[in-house]
Amino acid sequence: MGLGNYFKDIKAGLTSAFEGMSISLASLFVRPVTVQYPDVDVKSDEAMRENYNGPLRGMPDNYRGLLDVDLEICISCKLCEKACPIDCILIEDVKIDKKQIVGRNGKSTMKMKSPIQFDIDNSKCMFCGLCVDPCPTGAIVHTNEFEFNRSDRSQLISRFVKADDRAQLKVRGAEIAIEDAKAKAEKAAKKKAEAEAKAKEEEEASKDQSEAKGTKE
Amino acid sequence: MDILIQTIGDIINADLGSPLAAFIALLLVSLAILGFMSLTAGGLSFIERRVAGRMQSRIGPNRVGPQGILQFMADGLKCAQKEDLIPDGADRLLFKLAPVLCFIGVFGTFAVLPWGNGFFASELNVGLLYLMSVTSLVVIGMLMAGWSSNNKWSLLGGMRSAAQMVSYEIPVALSLLPVILLCGSLSFKELIGAQGAMPWDWNILNSPFTFISFFIFFLAALAEGNRTPFDIPEGESELVAGYCTEYSGLRFVFFFFAEWANLYVIGAVAAAVFLGGGHLPFGLESDIVSLLVFFAKSFFMVFIIIWLRWTLPRFRVDQMMTLCWKTLIPLSFVMLFGQAITLLIYHELTFLQSIVSLVLFAICVLVGVKFVSRVLVNIKEQKYKMMHTLTGS
Repeated sequence: MGLGNYFKDIKAGLTSAFEGMSISLASLFVRPVTVQYPDVDVKSDEAMRENYNGPLRGMPDNYRGLLDVDLEICISCKLCEKACPIDCILIEDVKIDKKQIVGRNGKSTMKMKSPIQFDIDNSKCMFCGLCVDPCPTGAIVHTNEFEFNRSDRSQLISRFVKADDRAQLKVRGAEIAIEDAKAKAEKAAKKKAEAEAKAKEEEEASKDQSEAKGTKE
Repeated sequence: MDILIQTIGDIINADLGSPLAAFIALLLVSLAILGFMSLTAGGLSFIERRVAGRMQSRIGPNRVGPQGILQFMADGLKCAQKEDLIPDGADRLLFKLAPVLCFIGVFGTFAVLPWGNGFFASELNVGLLYLMSVTSLVVIGMLMAGWSSNNKWSLLGGMRSAAQMVSYEIPVALSLLPVILLCGSLSFKELIGAQGAMPWDWNILNSPFTFISFFIFFLAALAEGNRTPFDIPEGESELVAGYCTEYSGLRFVFFFFAEWANLYVIGAVAAAVFLGGGHLPFGLESDIVSLLVFFAKSFFMVFIIIWLRWTLPRFRVDQMMTLCWKTLIPLSFVMLFGQAITLLIYHELTFLQSIVSLVLFAICVLVGVKFVSRVLVNIKEQKYKMMHTLTGS
């Protein structure tokens, strides 16, 4: 604690305060980063460029917001339901008329089934993205929607299949089931008949053979 | 030309010279001061929040009124609507009295505070002494608030503020002494009158001793006004809000009102005593112009205080006491002694004063240039960082 230290301390205090003051004054002349959020649409780059002149840009493509399902290309394989670690996805499905669909990744697949119930409970969902990865057609995806406060907890469940569609699909599904059953029965009957015919043929053939043997003898 | 008391007094005295008329005149003057003080305190709260915002790369309040300028009115209204709570076990009388005392302590200073070269609410020949003594009421108010709240944090905050403000009143007074020696008066009118228009005619550049005295005064006044780096009585992270933890509604507003008004008081005293009042060179000086110049100077000081607050971290209690008792007080004694000797030397060699003043002015300019260059470098750096770290490009 000599006199030298005393003046050294004063000097250190003054110079560091000098530099600190210059930094904080400089920040007065730099644009604030703040986005005035409800005024500026933060989802897209274009809107951000228009209404905001800071350095930030719109939300990234890999943002994991609310889940969305494209029912047109969902083949109801239930891989997402199995992948979900907290079971917040519920799928029920029926058979439909077969049709060719093109997935989000460009591959075409035959769609045999369609969900009549596809519910995601957003109050449970933790937006891990594990359901998105296994989807073979890319039907389930994260959107960049992050505003989902609702007045009621039940409104947090997104139900992707509409009631009308469900009724229609159910009716058609029942018809298909009957048709299938019929077709199956027909097939079975046909098979049976075929089998019987074959058996008969074989029997006749063996008869013929034995007859031929008999004539030989 | 005590403009407020005399103009208002003249108007009424022309009609009747009774004590009632004097009372009415005083009432009008104090109402005018109250209006000025409320607007200043409110405006400063807005300015402080905007500056703080920009320094932290935010925007700050910008919703109420154009650019958020009416924010302080909204805040005041909100506080006025709040319930006036007095905690259980509090000393009710002291609890109610404390904010008023704090307020009076700051309000009283406006009686002598100059508003320009010839503008005073009242001309007091011991103006500086009165100002120093009336601000002591604030200490009592804070201690009272801390004690009467029946709350640990409040008590600690009150005790700390008492210790701090009592200690820092000494360097404030001592650092003003060299200037009083120089001007030979305690009245603000003569203190301003003794200074010239150009910077080297100001008291701050009279000698190296007044120059350092100014910084001692500034630091000590910051500490007395409870501003960061010395905001220990209300250090949020340690004491919640210090002595005003238990206050709500308008009583709370009174404390902050006093604090922001005190900010202006510090700026105005610095401008009047050290920075040459409202003088303007080249014959441009007039009453109104001196008013504007004086406001510009005091608000510049206020801006520096705000700027310091958002730059420097808070002192520890023991560091703060060390700074006061081991650095500022001895240093201000040295300055007082040095200034006394300097005055003797100046008396013999009159040309020396202008040389010293000019040299000091040149040093100030050099430091200013260096500072501006550092600021420019930092602006560039911050812009670069912002474009390259936040956008990831």
